[in-house]
Amino acid sequence: MTVRTVTAPFALVLAVAVTLAAAPHASAHHGWSGYDSGTTLNLTGTIKEAGYEHPHGYVQLQVPGKTWRVVLAPPSRMENRGLPRTALSPGKTVTVVGYPNRTDPEEMRAERITVDGKTTELR
Amino acid sequence: MIHDPRAAAWLVWLESSPVAVAMRQWLWLYPAVEVLHIAGIAALVGGAVMFDLRLLGVSRGLPVAALAAHLLPWARVGLGMVALSGALMFIAHATEWAQNPAFRVKLLLIAAAGANAWAFHRWPFRAVARWDRDLPAPAHARVAALLSMILWLSVIACGRLLAYL
Repeated sequence: MTVRTVTAPFALVLAVAVTLAAAPHASAHHGWSGYDSGTTLNLTGTIKEAGYEHPHGYVQLQVPGKTWRVVLAPPSRMENRGLPRTALSPGKTVTVVGYPNRTDPEEMRAERITVDGKTTELR
Repeated sequence: MIHDPRAAAWLVWLESSPVAVAMRQWLWLYPAVEVLHIAGIAALVGGAVMFDLRLLGVSRGLPVAALAAHLLPWARVGLGMVALSGALMFIAHATEWAQNPAFRVKLLLIAAAGANAWAFHRWPFRAVARWDRDLPAPAHARVAALLSMILWLSVIACGRLLAYL
């Protein structure tokens, strides 16, 4: 393999980095440390939308006066713990216990979720 | 999936693609790709750091050219593995990663590591026969080795910080 063929992917990476530098900035959110465990939220509402997705599932939870984005666990973990994709269908009433995001007032991360009378630990 | 309304169209297109949907929704695809990424890191950074240590004077009895011929092809295989798996993880959440400061720094560091490797092969390594074994590598080869270790470890750090920033 020549030096040039090895260099090409690095040049591509640099081009992407420069392109992305022009994109707007927003803070992301992962890991429990991004959530304020000193404030426990106990929310009951209706699922407006659900994502059974990696790296973490989520539901848009409609509660009186507000819609929360509730971050759940990886779908593989939820499946293993008996919370299948169908348990999170829109229109269902669920209860979540968790913590608010430290910077995003619309988001919380759930420690556990209760659907159809069954509680699943998410951590 | 809810796309950031400010995100560039090509990023939204990427994360709406069937591959991106499969990455997010197939139960075991994402973790399998993560395994590929970690194995690729082991091959790429492992090979690079072992070679760098030799340049810095560890195991000076081993011929540099032979060690390069043994380690660097595997490092390139690792590069292919991390590039493929990294691209898959990127498109799964393209708009989010594109905005992540650690991701941008990571790309710049990868480009810098590539430039460093290129410069090493372009200059000091051409004359490797003169210091192949039992002799200290020239100063610019040692600087490249030190830079390589610092850059690749920083790339790993940024990769892990992606999930926390």
